[in-house]
Amino acid sequence: MASTGKLRQRVPVSARPNFEYDRIQEEEHTDDVFQNPNKRHPIEKILETDNASVVVVAVLTALAFALRFYKINHPDQVVFDEVHFGKFASYYILGEYYFDVHPPFAKLLFGLAGWFSGFDGHFQFENIGDSYTQNHVPYVGMRALPAILGSLTVPVVYAIMKQSGYSTVIAAFSAAIILFDNAHIAQSRLILLDATLIFFMSLTIYAYVRFQKLRYREFTTEWFGWLFATGFFMACTWGSKVNGVLTVATVGVAVLIDLWGILDYKRSPSMDYFWKHFAARAIGLIVIPFTIYLSFFWVHFALLPTSGTGDSFMSPAFQETLAGNEMLLSAQELRYYDTVTMRHKDSKVYLHSHVERYPLKYDDGRISSQGQQVTGYAHADENNNWQIIPTKALPETGRGRIVRHNDMIQLLHVNTNTVLLTHDVASPLMPTNQEFTTWPRDDTSRFNETLFQLSLIDAHDGEAWKSKSGYFRLVHGQTRVSMWTHSKQLPEWAFRQQEINGNKNPTEKTATWFVEDIIADETGEDPKERTGHQPPKVPKKMNFFRKFGELQLLMLQHNAGLTASHPYASGPLNWPFLIAGISFWTENDPQKQIYLIGNLVGWWTCVVALSIYVGILGADLLSRRRNSDPIPEPVRNRLWNSAGFFFVVWAVHYAPFFLMNRQLFIHHYLASHLASALIAGAVLQFILSETINHPISVEAPTMRRHKRQYADIGLKGPIIFVLFCIAMFSMFVFLAPLTYGTPGLTGDQVNSKRLLSSWTLHFAAKKTAEVVQ
Amino acid sequence: MNPAGRAVAVDFVEDEFEEIGYPETLPTYSPHMDESAAARRRLGKGRPDGAEEKVWFDDEDDFKAPSVRSFSGGRPAQLALPPPTTLREFLSQNMPSIPPLVYTLLACYTRFHRIGLSPTVVWDEAHFGKFASHYLKREFYFDVHPPLGKMLVGLAGLLSGYNGGFDFKSGVDYPPEVPYVAMRVMLATFGVGMVPLGWFTAIELGMTQWAAHLVALMVLFDVGWLCISRFILLDSMLLFFTFLAVFCLSKFHNQQAHPFDFDWWAWLAMTGISIGLVTSVKMVGLFVTALVGFYTLEDLWNKFGDLRLTTKEQAKHWGARILCLIILPILVFMATFKIHFMILNHSGPGDAQMSSLFQANLHGNDFHNNPLEIAIGSKVTIKNMAFGGGLLHSHVQTYPTGSNQQQVTCYHYKDENNEFWFWPAWDQKDTVWDPKYGSHDPSDEELRFLKHHDVVRLVHVPTTRNIHSHPIPAPITKANWEVSAYGNATIGDVQDNWVVEVLGDVVRGDVNRYLDPKSSTVDSRARIHALTTRLRFRHQVLGCYLSAARTSLPQWGFKQIEVTCAKEEEGSKPAEGSIWNVETHWNTRLPPAARSLSRSPFITDFIHLNIAMMTSNNALIPDPDKEDLLASKPWEWPFLSVGLRMCGWGDQQIKYYLMGNPIIWWGGSISLIVATFVALGLVVRRQRYGGGKGARKPAPNSLNGDSGKNGAALAARPGDGLTQREWAQFWHVTKIAGGGWVLHYLPFLIMGRVTYIHHYLPTLYFAVLMFAHLLDYFVFQVPSTPSANPHTVPTSGVSLSDLNSIPKMIRTFRALPRMTRIKLYVFSLTTSAIVGTFWWFRAVAWGMEGPIRNTWGLGWRETWNIYH
Repeated sequence: MASTGKLRQRVPVSARPNFEYDRIQEEEHTDDVFQNPNKRHPIEKILETDNASVVVVAVLTALAFALRFYKINHPDQVVFDEVHFGKFASYYILGEYYFDVHPPFAKLLFGLAGWFSGFDGHFQFENIGDSYTQNHVPYVGMRALPAILGSLTVPVVYAIMKQSGYSTVIAAFSAAIILFDNAHIAQSRLILLDATLIFFMSLTIYAYVRFQKLRYREFTTEWFGWLFATGFFMACTWGSKVNGVLTVATVGVAVLIDLWGILDYKRSPSMDYFWKHFAARAIGLIVIPFTIYLSFFWVHFALLPTSGTGDSFMSPAFQETLAGNEMLLSAQELRYYDTVTMRHKDSKVYLHSHVERYPLKYDDGRISSQGQQVTGYAHADENNNWQIIPTKALPETGRGRIVRHNDMIQLLHVNTNTVLLTHDVASPLMPTNQEFTTWPRDDTSRFNETLFQLSLIDAHDGEAWKSKSGYFRLVHGQTRVSMWTHSKQLPEWAFRQQEINGNKNPTEKTATWFVEDIIADETGEDPKERTGHQPPKVPKKMNFFRKFGELQLLMLQHNAGLTASHPYASGPLNWPFLIAGISFWTENDPQKQIYLIGNLVGWWTCVVALSIYVGILGADLLSRRRNSDPIPEPVRNRLWNSAGFFFVVWAVHYAPFFLMNRQLFIHHYLASHLASALIAGAVLQFILSETINHPISVEAPTMRRHKRQYADIGLKGPIIFVLFCIAMFSMFVFLAPLTYGTPGLTGDQVNSKRLLSSWTLHFAAKKTAEVVQ
Repeated sequence: MNPAGRAVAVDFVEDEFEEIGYPETLPTYSPHMDESAAARRRLGKGRPDGAEEKVWFDDEDDFKAPSVRSFSGGRPAQLALPPPTTLREFLSQNMPSIPPLVYTLLACYTRFHRIGLSPTVVWDEAHFGKFASHYLKREFYFDVHPPLGKMLVGLAGLLSGYNGGFDFKSGVDYPPEVPYVAMRVMLATFGVGMVPLGWFTAIELGMTQWAAHLVALMVLFDVGWLCISRFILLDSMLLFFTFLAVFCLSKFHNQQAHPFDFDWWAWLAMTGISIGLVTSVKMVGLFVTALVGFYTLEDLWNKFGDLRLTTKEQAKHWGARILCLIILPILVFMATFKIHFMILNHSGPGDAQMSSLFQANLHGNDFHNNPLEIAIGSKVTIKNMAFGGGLLHSHVQTYPTGSNQQQVTCYHYKDENNEFWFWPAWDQKDTVWDPKYGSHDPSDEELRFLKHHDVVRLVHVPTTRNIHSHPIPAPITKANWEVSAYGNATIGDVQDNWVVEVLGDVVRGDVNRYLDPKSSTVDSRARIHALTTRLRFRHQVLGCYLSAARTSLPQWGFKQIEVTCAKEEEGSKPAEGSIWNVETHWNTRLPPAARSLSRSPFITDFIHLNIAMMTSNNALIPDPDKEDLLASKPWEWPFLSVGLRMCGWGDQQIKYYLMGNPIIWWGGSISLIVATFVALGLVVRRQRYGGGKGARKPAPNSLNGDSGKNGAALAARPGDGLTQREWAQFWHVTKIAGGGWVLHYLPFLIMGRVTYIHHYLPTLYFAVLMFAHLLDYFVFQVPSTPSANPHTVPTSGVSLSDLNSIPKMIRTFRALPRMTRIKLYVFSLTTSAIVGTFWWFRAVAWGMEGPIRNTWGLGWRETWNIYH
């Protein structure tokens, strides 16, 4: 009975009422095992010593290193997303600015690893399968970093379980699920961000568990130490990958629950006490992590001073802070009668026109104006030249001839001597958007329809229009549509060029253009000399916080925009059951492949453990609702609070993916898988024994001492552990050719490795007849 | 992470208030009725312990607090009044019925006023009027909504003498023979019914009469509800049944003290029936069903922890809910479909959505003229036999991905692109067919019937292309191979060949019963019968099966169903989507087979139609390339950022603009935000201060003496200054109104389909309830007298009707306690704002005549497209 369990802890024996005496005597007897550490099974006694623990950790860690470093030099080719992350590392070494959706911490580490191992940054990681050895890339050094972090994750998992009060065998069990897992191993042997993410995520859990254990010693140095450590590791997790924000959310949920308890008047008689707790957490878990997170970006910007592939994602103001940026070098003010070429910012096509006309009738039966075609063309061409015609009187010379924000202009297509026009006729591909065409210049009957307002982005009144840096929208004066283009191609009659049409939203974000080049000025001269000799420009300065804000916003937008379908993307529901993996790399000749897939034994154990856990909690809730307490208080406490925290970690790292629209992969589940391994340990302990190490929190000196209990799972624990490890290891070895990408497999071998029919392995022997074509 | 508190009722002592006898003072029958003596004059059954719920709020003595169970919010139980003895007494007893009566009459005025002003088909009348015509003509049609609402529209047409002959083209003037005014009036009656339901729901939820007045006024004077109720649409019925469901639920809640009484059963069953009805009008009804579901789960969870209930009683409670809230609504829902099928027994535009067997039994269907057995050279349409399956279809448009060959899809309407020829396979050309069948006219060749295991080509009649498959991933379901139409009468390859495999026959049973599928001996029993034979097409080369899933193609495929060649594991059960039957069959050389087929079972038709509805509903996703000016996004609704033009905006037209009464919409949304904070504040305070002074000392009889939460639940007065009753009342209404709002709103945020502002109208009801509830909580429920005796119920329902002179009125008013005056101020301010705004905007619902610029002052927000 739970209430007696409570009594036992809180009330000295002498104070108990007499009528309970007999029963308590009896319980004391059975409690002997739980409360006298020397009465445990000898195996348990040995395993629970510090030395045994050290040995176990050492063995686990050594094995982890061995499994992750085994043949780490294979393949000596670019694998899967190494294309991206290897490239980013080279950019750090070269100092060239790039853009990516993930925060920079893990990539900085790769840059560091590359620099450390002597990588000069000149290999570009262009395609999967490019050879490292031929290009003299010290890739082993770079792969060693995630391999080290991935190996160290194993002892961290062990430590989490140990600190949470589980037996050595149980802690080793959880660690073994990670240790022998093919997915964790495959993911940490390559230049990918996940190993860093998972390592720091497990450290965050560890630090938070330590912090919670000190809850009776609040505001001591250690308490603050673990609080700040939680914050620090959390920031590193978040800084490694966007998904790390889920770890932040996990800690947030846990802290809210914690604070909710502290808010109780019994815990905090005065509000000041509560606010003190609140402030400590606000500093440790908000201010410090955020500062660290910011500092990653500060380093990121500091290391990337020169222009690179990421320029075009950024605003002109940002680009001008990068040395060697084209915008910085060749931006010029535009004057009326200049002949220019214009490009669409996103799709990079030139505004183009040619003598061919729109067909009178389209396939779907709609009618066009049969005017001259205006299209988007990807290549340089005479027909891309447009002249800027004023609609107001100009002074003879001087700065009055410069084109400015909000000016009304005409655009003259030089080759056909027609002016750009749009009118209320549906465009070829989109019935809702307006058609763009041109009109003879000397025919003034439709003059008003040829007027466009030049709307520079983020400009102040009277700002001059510059080539390169002057992003603008071209808004039609009469109908207020904005010149726009999209990736759809027109049919053959327009040579499959891109459609240009008028978007009804005059402030449409994707309707942004810029002037690529000034071909000629009014006199037909090359305008380069117009402003005289210019001194080489120095990069401009920009406030760090503005840079950070801009980048952060772009990262969010692009992350949400990753919705394109991918052959190996899979839905979250498939992940725990290991329905589908990802093909990382293949090599035809010896039929080698790397296929990211987890250890079936380990993953399914975790799923079973999760369902048992939910079942236990449900049963406990129901039975307590009926006023019976089947589970002793300390055990329930462990299940709800310790395993409950792991469960929160699992759920928060998993559930949000159900709401996301972006493409998802099985490696997004790895963090949750780690949490489910922790739960599996907790469940195993619950199944094997009613005993438990309790209490595990560090007691305050002022507290009355609890009577301690000790876990004893006897001999069956080690036996089960060994059997489980054998099963895990066999499965691991069986799948190892897919994890390490070596040795090559015959078609029939591939078929035998395909344990679930949904795994899409390469080089499978064909079952069906050969295709005749 | 702390587990919830243990069962609260452990130390309940049964006898505690059974002793309290009949109340000392009988209610007085003054015209100043207090709200506890409101609308109802009858107490379910005069139990001997009828005073069980007589509630005493006593600060001093915690022991008088009854159990939580008696205090779950809602309207306090009423004592039965003695029969009236005088006319005056009769009148005073019936006083509370007068306000709802007046509001109902007013509702009749607002709903029916100038209802026939616009003689044109307005907005979605085009759809629902058309469906009514189909019912009157008894032609089978297909629509995404369940049939009840449209049947009622049809009924309205029938009652008003409409003959079903008008096709309801949008914007067209009604011809004289269409009694559109009568139809509109009948449907607007549902809109009238919303008003008294609003009033009585407020009463049943335990609100004061002030708040009930507010609810009724808001329901009455919202221009959105008004506008949508005045046309031939489903929304008035949807709203009415939603209101009814909430009303029944609150009514049922008030029967909680007398489980298994007649009234208890009646209201539980009524709740079930009303959620069945609302779901049968539109699927949105599932949201209010969810509200009832969550309420019931919480209720049962509480019952589960009530240790006084025996196991039998527990089982009875569960059984009653399952019976009335699950089985009953499903029966109602199915019954509407049964009636739907019974009425629509003629062939019509929706035929192709249903199975071939179903269609064969519709009057006016010509399937019985089809020849029975398929021969090579027959022209056929081929129907997928999965639930919701369509007709095999192809059209000249090509795939934008993969092979870029001609698309093959499944289509749910009849057109000539569904027609195919069975032609012999390419390799058989040389042997039997080739010499003179370059034209493939089999007319003078010996008839060759199609049999099990024959290899054929499926040739698309309009384009003469062959159905073809090849190892290129299908456009959506990448795991399957693409199916395209390729080549023509002379060009093709072996990948056009399909092996016909018979699985069985609807009439003759499984194939093994009349044929050995392994044997190569072929007799006439192996022939394929039109309509009934279930067959599959196996690709001769790839070994995969021609299949249609329920995935829709994107816009380039016109949202039609994707057809793929699905690989199948050896020996597995045939997938539903790969089974086909021949539907229409033309062959001039064969005689028509006059045969009558038994009807497909109702349950099959029911499932089939529901799946088809779901599939086409899911295909209603917004088209990114097409800007729908009428559509709006859910977050634009609560603060009325958008309106909707219901018809053309020409100067000569009568114009209707679907928008809400801004005061009601904004007030409702603000009160939802405020309620969130109030609720949060109450919970935090309770956590912080526990059960107040009652809980600081150990709760009586508490077993372990430190259970603050248990104490709090038992204590009369939690530390947040609320009495137990106020606390329960606040949460009861907050859960119904807030929960209802969330359940009606969030799904729209998540679901991908295109949304319009009228989807918010059922949701608005819960915002309105919350608005009234918060005013109730902050103002109207506050006792008027600085309480010397806090448990006298406040004299809030002050009726001024008997005051006959203004000076006397002023004197009386000034003599009122301060709180009562505040209530009057708040009430009159809110009411006049609501009524005033309604009057200001009345024209948008009653119809605006003449050029729109002559209507002045409606553009309160720039985003409303009233003027531009």
